[in-house]
Amino acid sequence: MLGLVRKRLVQLVIVLFLLSIFTFSLMKLAPGDPVMAILNADEMMVTEADQVKLRSELGFNQPLYIQYGQWMLGLIKLDLGTSYMSGKPVWNEMMERLPITVQLTVGALLVMVSISVPLGILSARYPGKWPDQISRICALIGASVPSFWFGLMLIYFFAFKLQILPSTGMGTFSQTILPSFALGFSLAAVYARLLRAGLLGSFSEDYIQAARARGVKEWRILWFHAFRAALLPVITVFGLSMGSLLGGAVVIEILFSWPGLGSMAVDAIFSRDYPVIQGYVLLTGVFVVVMNLFVDLSYYLLDPRIKQGKEGTA
Amino acid sequence: MPAVMDLKIQNLTNKDSQQKVSGLQSIPVLEIKDLSISLRGANRQEDHTLVKKLNFTIRPGEMLGLAGESGSGKSLTASAILGLLPKSLHVSEGQIEFRGKNLTRLSEKEMRCIRGKEIAYLFQNYQGSFTPFIKIGKQLIESLRSHEKIRKADARKKVLFWLERVQVPAERIFSSYPHQLSGGQLQRVSLAAALMFNPSLIIADEPTTALDVLTSKKILDLLADLQKEVGCAILLISHDLKHLLKRANSMAVMYGGQIIEKGLTENIETNPLHPYTKLLLRARSVLTQTVPGKLAVIPGEPGLVAKQGCSFTLRCTKSSEKCSMVPEMQLAEDSHCTACHNLETEEGN
Repeated sequence: MLGLVRKRLVQLVIVLFLLSIFTFSLMKLAPGDPVMAILNADEMMVTEADQVKLRSELGFNQPLYIQYGQWMLGLIKLDLGTSYMSGKPVWNEMMERLPITVQLTVGALLVMVSISVPLGILSARYPGKWPDQISRICALIGASVPSFWFGLMLIYFFAFKLQILPSTGMGTFSQTILPSFALGFSLAAVYARLLRAGLLGSFSEDYIQAARARGVKEWRILWFHAFRAALLPVITVFGLSMGSLLGGAVVIEILFSWPGLGSMAVDAIFSRDYPVIQGYVLLTGVFVVVMNLFVDLSYYLLDPRIKQGKEGTA
Repeated sequence: MPAVMDLKIQNLTNKDSQQKVSGLQSIPVLEIKDLSISLRGANRQEDHTLVKKLNFTIRPGEMLGLAGESGSGKSLTASAILGLLPKSLHVSEGQIEFRGKNLTRLSEKEMRCIRGKEIAYLFQNYQGSFTPFIKIGKQLIESLRSHEKIRKADARKKVLFWLERVQVPAERIFSSYPHQLSGGQLQRVSLAAALMFNPSLIIADEPTTALDVLTSKKILDLLADLQKEVGCAILLISHDLKHLLKRANSMAVMYGGQIIEKGLTENIETNPLHPYTKLLLRARSVLTQTVPGKLAVIPGEPGLVAKQGCSFTLRCTKSSEKCSMVPEMQLAEDSHCTACHNLETEEGN
């Protein structure tokens, strides 16, 4: 267990290093000039002297590897630089917005679990019957309808037509419902199908029949014997889809005008605010890698045979 | 105080076993009458019958051997008794009477209370007998608590007691996962799980097929010993004649979903009547001082079942025109009967 954590932490460092190089060089390669953006060149007269001064202030006149090295040095001290736009440290800015995104993601995860688990179980219990058909249709919709359109439809029906839920603003429970649904629904439908497949797989295992033959109650068989095995594939995909969950959060935050990390990143991209973009990408990277570490650890808890296989003790 | 409890359990089992043994010749534990199992077709006419008109009884303390090659319907019969047939199959005819109750009529809830408690099941695939990611002890306690209201600590004591009875290191096995045990140990644990409730009937579905020869022998010895003590009836399903001839009091031989011969084991061994049984017995390798050149073989492929009449007719050496009709069970001697048209002509051989 500890060995795995250590291995993953080393991996994390490597992943982050690669991520930082990619984002750094992508930012440098991307068209557009942050100096012009900062000086607001579209609306004001900008002299050559102003540009040169700002460039040397930001260190842009130095070779790339030195720029990168300085940025990395700061990173170790959790100093991600200061935002060109707001002038505040990137770290503080991100920490301010993080709770908002966390609220949205947790909401989406709750929606996901509360839809996918019952739907998955029902469709596995009654394959081919109506719960199965509903989940099939939901999965099709969830997989093919983009989340921004789904979010717009939610706003149209629940906020505009029925006027039962607010479409903008954040903080209260009712304001969290629509964005959480918009983000969580498509994943929920997919997970319901995954769970169904997993459950059908474990229902056909010999040990389920054996538990029945021992007279174990059907609900116990479902929760303690079948469900646990069915969770493995679901959790694997869950870890892999963390990135798309955060990506989806960007769209949903803009749509419902939540000032979260996603909308911060979008603003930063439009204004070439390099330090903020790099900070966002790094944070996302850390999050995805750490979540996948938890996923791997959960395998150990779900199936003790995996532990034995990996560590080779027997 | 485990010692006191042990005593209590022992007394209980002794008393019960006496009751059961005394009833040996009286009421059967299980009586199967005209049982047919069919594959559900689009309508009733299209039903494909897999097990045809099975009849047999098991009395308390008896071990009935059910012999037959793969696909002859042995395991299906066992699943039907437990009410665990796959959804595509159903009991299309007949009754399964278990201690006065017709199991085919019981609700799922009533069946659950019988499964494990009154009818225990030993699986062929010992690796599938327990859920791989739950510790053995926890699973045994779970099955105990599925049937009786018992405190966790008491359940633990009872489980440990029975694990010791099947001669495994109880404490260690209790806190092991199934994959950490050997095949023999797992089958012993299954035996403990089966005997915990002092069941009236144990269905052992090829319990030793996946084990090596020595371990099989030990498991079957243990099963026989514990049966003597507990006095339950055992339905031993096997394709291995050797085990059945040695252990079972009586036997039924199945081919293609029909019982073609049944009777006391010694009668069948010394005087097989049906051509299939004869061929089966002849195909055994017998340890002699000279190595036999060739073993006798039964012609044709296993699973070659005639659609009409006697299911063995396609492979039978004595097949005649009459065999396209389903043969009736005929009584030959003391409870020994067989279903074959050509018995008289057989006598000459």
